[in-house]
Amino acid sequence: MGKLEGKVAVITGGSSGMALASAKRFVEEGAYVFITGRRQEVLDEAVEQIGRNVTGVRGDASNLDDLDRLFDTVKRQKGKIDVLYASAGMGEFVPLGEITEQHFDAAFGLNVRGTLFTVQKALPLFNDGGSIFMTGSVASMKGYSGFSVYAASKAALRAFARGWLNELKGRNIRVNVLHPGPIATPTQDLVLDEEGKRFFESQIPPGKMGRPEEIATVALFLASDDSRFVNGVELAVDGGLSAI
Amino acid sequence: MSKLEGKVAVISGGTTGIGLAIAQRFVTEGAHVFIFGRRKAQLDAAAKLIGHNVTAIQADAAKLDDLDHVAAAVRKEKGTVDIVVSNAGFTEQASIDTITPEHFDKAFNLMARGPVFLVQKLLPLMTGGGSIVLVSSAMHLMGIPGHTAYAATKAALRSYARTWAAEFKDRGIRVNVLSPGVTDTPILDSQSATREELVAMYQSMVPIGRLARAEEMASAALFLASDQSSYVTGADLMSDGGIGQV
Repeated sequence: MGKLEGKVAVITGGSSGMALASAKRFVEEGAYVFITGRRQEVLDEAVEQIGRNVTGVRGDASNLDDLDRLFDTVKRQKGKIDVLYASAGMGEFVPLGEITEQHFDAAFGLNVRGTLFTVQKALPLFNDGGSIFMTGSVASMKGYSGFSVYAASKAALRAFARGWLNELKGRNIRVNVLHPGPIATPTQDLVLDEEGKRFFESQIPPGKMGRPEEIATVALFLASDDSRFVNGVELAVDGGLSAI
Repeated sequence: MSKLEGKVAVISGGTTGIGLAIAQRFVTEGAHVFIFGRRKAQLDAAAKLIGHNVTAIQADAAKLDDLDHVAAAVRKEKGTVDIVVSNAGFTEQASIDTITPEHFDKAFNLMARGPVFLVQKLLPLMTGGGSIVLVSSAMHLMGIPGHTAYAATKAALRSYARTWAAEFKDRGIRVNVLSPGVTDTPILDSQSATREELVAMYQSMVPIGRLARAEEMASAALFLASDQSSYVTGADLMSDGGIGQV
């Protein structure tokens, strides 16, 4: 018996990396998953890799119309949601002094505003007793040069979780934040060069990047009843990077 | 396949409450558990409840000689350890005006000093890929009257996990904190207010609106003990229904 038997999960940004690994794992554990992504061909590829019990909905998680379309599709096909993994996010290295409005708006528009409306629009479909969690970042607990806007946008999610868990207490819906550390993903390849990767590896106690599957097992924990009394936490999955 | 098949776990204070629930869950998942506690009758009752794959040792988690005895017993019977759960604890309330050296020492000896030596003495037996779980408390983040010593010992555990995560870098051993919220266990009966008063007070404070069950702490401990959390180290897993967050 899978840990998510019969559950419906929505994973934004689920077409690559950690969220894709989580979508695969959720399906293995018995869930039906909806994944999103901006690029149709990447989304199609992800749906094919997951293979079954999956619907891909093309859309940009920072676009409110796209979010409406996503949840209309969920409503039509399944009528309810048990798990929401708001994972869509982006980061760019820009040092203070070079930050533009566009940089700020892109980070906050997707990571903060997009996540807020993803959750709000999911709520009418949510089953009581469900689980919501968001992708934060270990960057929000540390101070990395060039990452202030990204880190602040992820820190905002932490404040959301605190407020929402109280607002949703009557419905028994849990809200948590999963903070990945440096994880070897296609997105990381775009953001970090080889030197950047070596730097992070030298900082992590296990001495190596995490794998997307190591995020997926933690996502499964937060999604499943194993974490039934875990609420409002920031769970760092970073090989200890933020602890030291 | 069970999550802890063939693993050896040592759990301090595994005779009642959260520790006992952890021991039961670990055995269900395929582990052999060593539990230890001071009181023989409770120890025997716990071993009987767990039923199989359990070794019960009479020992006080605050006494270093007793911890040597535990390590020797584990070495003799199994040779190695995969999982250490430092869980032994108690509550005794005293406001800053009334704290005695005895109150302070009792708390720190069991909950801050004991765990250091429990881990140190078992470390030579620990396998690469092993996991250490330090059971703290949501209270280490909170200010609840009467908990000066208790909360500070629990904050010390949170700090150990940070340092040890760095020290264990080359050994492949992970160390994390589990911070339970208010859990419905016999420890509630040892406090000054009545059980009913405590339950009513805490229920109004917890966002989830109820106290935790010991089994819910066991599932969180299982997560930290197993490979499901293979990239989690130095972390503090609050399993507190949100009480420490709001």
